[in-house]
Amino acid sequence: MLRHTLQRLLLSVPVLFGVLLIGFLLMQVVPTDPATVRAGPSATAEIVAEIRRDLGLDEPIYVQFGIYIWRLLHGDLGVSIINNVPVTQELGATIGPTLELMFASLFWSIPLGIFLGTVAGYWRGSLLDRVVTALSVAGGSVPVFFLGLMLIWFLGFQWQLLPFTGRGGPLWTLEGWQSVALPALTLGGVFIAPVARMTRTALLDVLGAEHVRTARAKGLGETAILLRHGLRNALIPVVTLIGLQIGFLLGGAVVTETVFSWPGVGRLAVGAILSSDFPMAQGTIIVLSLGFILVNLVVDVLYVTLDPRLRAA
Amino acid sequence: MSAAEADLARPARRPGLLRWALREPVAAFSALAAVLLILAAVLAPALAPTDPFDNDLSLAMAAPGTEGLLLGADNQGRDMITRLLFGLRATLMMGFASVLLGGGIGAVVGFAAAFYSRLDGLLMRCMDVLLSFPAILFGLAIAAIFGPGILAVVLSLSVATVPLMARIVRGSALVAMRQDYMVAARAIGMSDARIIFRHLAPNCLSSMCVFGTLRFGQVILLGSALSFLGLGAQPPVAELGAMASEGRTYLFFAPHIAVIPCVMIFVVVLVFNLLGDALRDALDPKLRV
Repeated sequence: MLRHTLQRLLLSVPVLFGVLLIGFLLMQVVPTDPATVRAGPSATAEIVAEIRRDLGLDEPIYVQFGIYIWRLLHGDLGVSIINNVPVTQELGATIGPTLELMFASLFWSIPLGIFLGTVAGYWRGSLLDRVVTALSVAGGSVPVFFLGLMLIWFLGFQWQLLPFTGRGGPLWTLEGWQSVALPALTLGGVFIAPVARMTRTALLDVLGAEHVRTARAKGLGETAILLRHGLRNALIPVVTLIGLQIGFLLGGAVVTETVFSWPGVGRLAVGAILSSDFPMAQGTIIVLSLGFILVNLVVDVLYVTLDPRLRAA
Repeated sequence: MSAAEADLARPARRPGLLRWALREPVAAFSALAAVLLILAAVLAPALAPTDPFDNDLSLAMAAPGTEGLLLGADNQGRDMITRLLFGLRATLMMGFASVLLGGGIGAVVGFAAAFYSRLDGLLMRCMDVLLSFPAILFGLAIAAIFGPGILAVVLSLSVATVPLMARIVRGSALVAMRQDYMVAARAIGMSDARIIFRHLAPNCLSSMCVFGTLRFGQVILLGSALSFLGLGAQPPVAELGAMASEGRTYLFFAPHIAVIPCVMIFVVVLVFNLLGDALRDALDPKLRV
């Protein structure tokens, strides 16, 4: 257990280094000189030179990399070129809404996906199974933005049921809940298909196992077989597979935030890249990558905790 | 010959392809649809009724079914059929380029890892590092470094495909390496390159085709999302994701501008997913998840 966790932590080191290196490279290719930008248009050559020295821009590149890591460790991600706001301040304001959106999406899509997958797997080969399987194949082919635009068109525009731009407030207020509804339906909507498919496959594996045949032979009720012996074992691979889909969820979140003008990290990142705001782009990419690495780590350790068979290995 | 005799004789005369199509209707349908989509994309310049950049502002946002415009016109009065064909062309090329480039590099890595066991650990740990990033982050980072464009999308999707293909190829190459004919090939003193190309690669080809087809659908989905975000093809180039993004502004006045390219992306991804599934069932059942 401890050994596995340490191994995973060790594997994260090169990944982490890769993220930091990409962030650093990003700032190296900036076509504009950061010192000139920071000094402002009316600065004299001496002031620019002084800022250049302060920022360490006249040092060799490996020293600059060291300075960059040092600043990152102190939570200094620089200042936006566009509006001069510290990057960390913007990130702080957008991480909450992104987590909110992800939570609201998973909150309904995971239970529904597991339910659909269970129904399909238990009545394997039935009409219901075929309908769920067909839907999950089709659902896995829908672009996130297509679903989002359709929900905006029908629920937001035609029937005027729910707001479709921006965030109304925290999740626990009515406005906040209403404003997250359509983005969460969109992002959750594309997540149902993989969850349902994984649950079905995992359940079929378990239901074919010998302990389930034993349970049937000793006359255990079908409900008990399904819940106690089937689902309980099937959910272990489902948990990992859901964890492995976090990258997919992140991609969906970036698109969903853009479609619904949701003030999250993904939309901030896209906006920064499109407006060549390099420090902001660097900050958002680093934070998104770190978040992703962290979630992967947690899921991996969780998986081993859930499945005692893996602990010995 | 009596009618009854003719009936009896018919199954035997049925050509193999048709018999296969009747037994595997989904596979046959998806294969046919994929061929038609690729043909439409290749022949786009010949099939399109107008030039993709020809605009007539008097026709701007014309609804589908307007005289002479079966699918209507976009916000600049460009024929939607033309835009759709050229958009399909750009999107499919983006997908092929990414799968070929990423898959090719991935295959080389996979063969190297399987064939030279000393390289295996190092190469596969590098692949693990690449696998730790979701494709969307490659897309964001590469677009930030090189600037938005189709090239950035192809590059990021290729990078995201390399580790996946490397794993698949290594897996099936390791199985092939244990066969007797591999030992025999070595024993008669064949060169490494000859063994890899003549014996190892052909044995991994079916896994590579299955994975490539399934990956193609995913790559189209990811690539059109990046284009939709504005990180891929730039207007006025016709590309399905970029077209959907442009149409989004006019969603409430002329929904067809966004919906038609979206439906096209859905159809392309669905067709290649079904085709990939069918290929997997036929060629490589062990890949089934």
